[in-house]
Amino acid sequence: MNTLTEGQTDKPACSLTIRLRGRSAVESKMGVLFIALFLGGCTHEQTKVHGKKLVRVWHVWGGTMAEGFNKVCDAFRKTHPDIDLRPVFAANDLATNQKFFTAVAARKPPEVIFVDGPQVASWAEWGALEPLTNLCKQSGINEKDYFAPCWRQNAYEGNVWAMTFCADPNFGFVWNKNSFRKAGLDPERPPKTIEELDRYARALTMFEKGELVRVGLIPWAQYGQANSIFTWGWAFGGDFFDYKTNRITADNERVVKALEWMVSYAKQYDVTKVASLQQGFGSAEQNPFITGKVAMMCLHIGGIADLARYAPDLDYGVTYIPSPPEGEQHSSWVGGWCVALPNGARNRDAAWEFVRWLCASTEGTELAGKSTGLFPGLKTSPYFETVRGKKHYDKFLQILQECRHQRPVMPVQARYMRELSRAVDAAVYGKATPKEALARARVATQRELDILGQGGKGRS
Amino acid sequence: MSGAKQTTLERPRMPLGLLFCLPVILGLCLFTLYPVVASFYYSFTRYSVMKPPVLVGTANYSHLMRDDLFWKSLANTAYFAALAIPLGTIVALGLALLLNLKVRGQALYRTFFFVPSIVPLVASSVLWIWLFNPQNGAINALLRPLFARLHLGQPPGWFADPAWAKPAIILWSIWGVGGTMMIFLAGLQDVPEELHEAAEMDGATTMYRFRHVTLPFLSPQILFVLIMGLIGAFQFFTPAYVMTRGTGGPVDSTLFYSLYLFNTAFADFKMGYACALAWILFLLIVGLTILLFKSSARYVYYAGGEGG
Repeated sequence: MNTLTEGQTDKPACSLTIRLRGRSAVESKMGVLFIALFLGGCTHEQTKVHGKKLVRVWHVWGGTMAEGFNKVCDAFRKTHPDIDLRPVFAANDLATNQKFFTAVAARKPPEVIFVDGPQVASWAEWGALEPLTNLCKQSGINEKDYFAPCWRQNAYEGNVWAMTFCADPNFGFVWNKNSFRKAGLDPERPPKTIEELDRYARALTMFEKGELVRVGLIPWAQYGQANSIFTWGWAFGGDFFDYKTNRITADNERVVKALEWMVSYAKQYDVTKVASLQQGFGSAEQNPFITGKVAMMCLHIGGIADLARYAPDLDYGVTYIPSPPEGEQHSSWVGGWCVALPNGARNRDAAWEFVRWLCASTEGTELAGKSTGLFPGLKTSPYFETVRGKKHYDKFLQILQECRHQRPVMPVQARYMRELSRAVDAAVYGKATPKEALARARVATQRELDILGQGGKGRS
Repeated sequence: MSGAKQTTLERPRMPLGLLFCLPVILGLCLFTLYPVVASFYYSFTRYSVMKPPVLVGTANYSHLMRDDLFWKSLANTAYFAALAIPLGTIVALGLALLLNLKVRGQALYRTFFFVPSIVPLVASSVLWIWLFNPQNGAINALLRPLFARLHLGQPPGWFADPAWAKPAIILWSIWGVGGTMMIFLAGLQDVPEELHEAAEMDGATTMYRFRHVTLPFLSPQILFVLIMGLIGAFQFFTPAYVMTRGTGGPVDSTLFYSLYLFNTAFADFKMGYACALAWILFLLIVGLTILLFKSSARYVYYAGGEGG
């Protein structure tokens, strides 16, 4: 539905005159009123308000992030007086995304949409996005200027579908130095190998009256089970997708090894007890890393600001994800939000101008970085100059610069993540061996992928 | 409509009357009838909403048979229905019998037991997540000394443990039996006092009177409650979605049929497959309801004497 109320410059598309002879005046008026109300929804879609081109941006930022994003929008408005930019919060959860897809299906989408990196290929496949390849060419946007995994994440079936707004290096591995001191460990020496990690985790885990009160590490709780297996799977030297053959490789030997290692924690510390502890985890001040319930974990870049806000005195360090000697050293993968043009959006030029400015211009990326604390996908952004030497952030920058992976770019990504999640869950709870669980995830996801391959893509 | 002739006053008003009914008629056709028919058509297609549907014949239905999540979710739902419905009915009936006793503050007790059923589902789900919290929740705080005395170790992990997640949801569902209890309470008012008196004079015990006087008179209500319970159980969604954040975890133990259907439709945007799931659900509910109705002739007693 058109939600605009201002600048009613357009007339209703549908109009109807009726004659109700022989009725009382009241009845006729009511009839007319009824028809008017019934047809009230039929109006032209507005593309201009007070002569300005309308660009509605459905973004995902709330709280302080929203303040930062609004600052960025204000700067854009100043340099682009002919564009009426309207940021609208839309959470990118299942409920909001239904609204977005319905809007696309009804040919009335917003002009710009935020999309999570791993969603790009699926959304492109479903027909929700407009390809940006030509627009990129026209604007002189060069693939080489972007962090490679970020660019790969947005490229699907020969087209570019989105621009990276923020490149999240996943993850920084953080350790609580106070917990280290209490456990008799050297607070300046974080674990580098899995063997060290296991030893530290043992020292940091504490039981009281049979219940777990502090845990060194919960390997399967790094931003959900799927992200956990991605993180450790790559760190152990595994991979999840073969782009050449279009095959899911969830149960390759190294990923199985990673899951076996994760399961060893479930066995050693009793998964139900760990899950009981987890049920008391919260966000903000109740973040388990702040409350000391978890001594080591993976942190995404937005987490630094959270920790600074809710626990300014927390003594912690950031380092690379530990990995086994035969695995991948300094392993990480990118996540992060991307910006795209919905299929069928109007004011395409104005919308693209915003996307370009936000993700590909020096002034836009610098301001976005400064206002949100997130890293732009543009390698050459001057923002990175301000990060060098800045506590914690500089480590994240190193991680990003060495980053090699992005989650598999394929159209059944959501299903793959859910299947991986189920596999981790089943293995951790001892309902299946890691090998079985991951093989099941592979088979289920591959079947979905093959269905799309069999002419089901219906590119029209 | 009756065959009576329209009056001269009514006839000219007919179109206007229809006009005013139009929103309801159109609403019903557009938002109920059309989606039902359309979903049947879409169940034979592959459809992501934003692109035109592609006909795939019965592929969705045959895929269903090989989909382990479909069977898992069906099994979870059946487990829930098989435990929650009888348990809920028994508890509601027991409460209704107790609250039918002529005691002081009867209305107050009735209100207490009814109130939980008017709490919004999402709110009560959130509340119960806290009650079920294994470490800090009120339920385990009560159970812990008991378990310690009986040397049973730690109390259940509830939503942290795949074996206890479904029982937790069933317990939650018992909390909301207030509505059912009201139906039984209303039914109890129709049990003729004179029959009870006659039975008592003949020396019938309380149990005997309950079994042979009260229960037969309540049988239509029980049938109603069973059918509504069945439909509700097979459509069970909100608390499972809220309590597990849509995952149906741990280890798929709370992946109920409707939750799986929802994920298929709105996370994977496999609308065709989701429509097939919805139609199977519909047929299951219709089939089970017919079975219940057919079997009801044997045990349901209608006081009106017209039979079932």
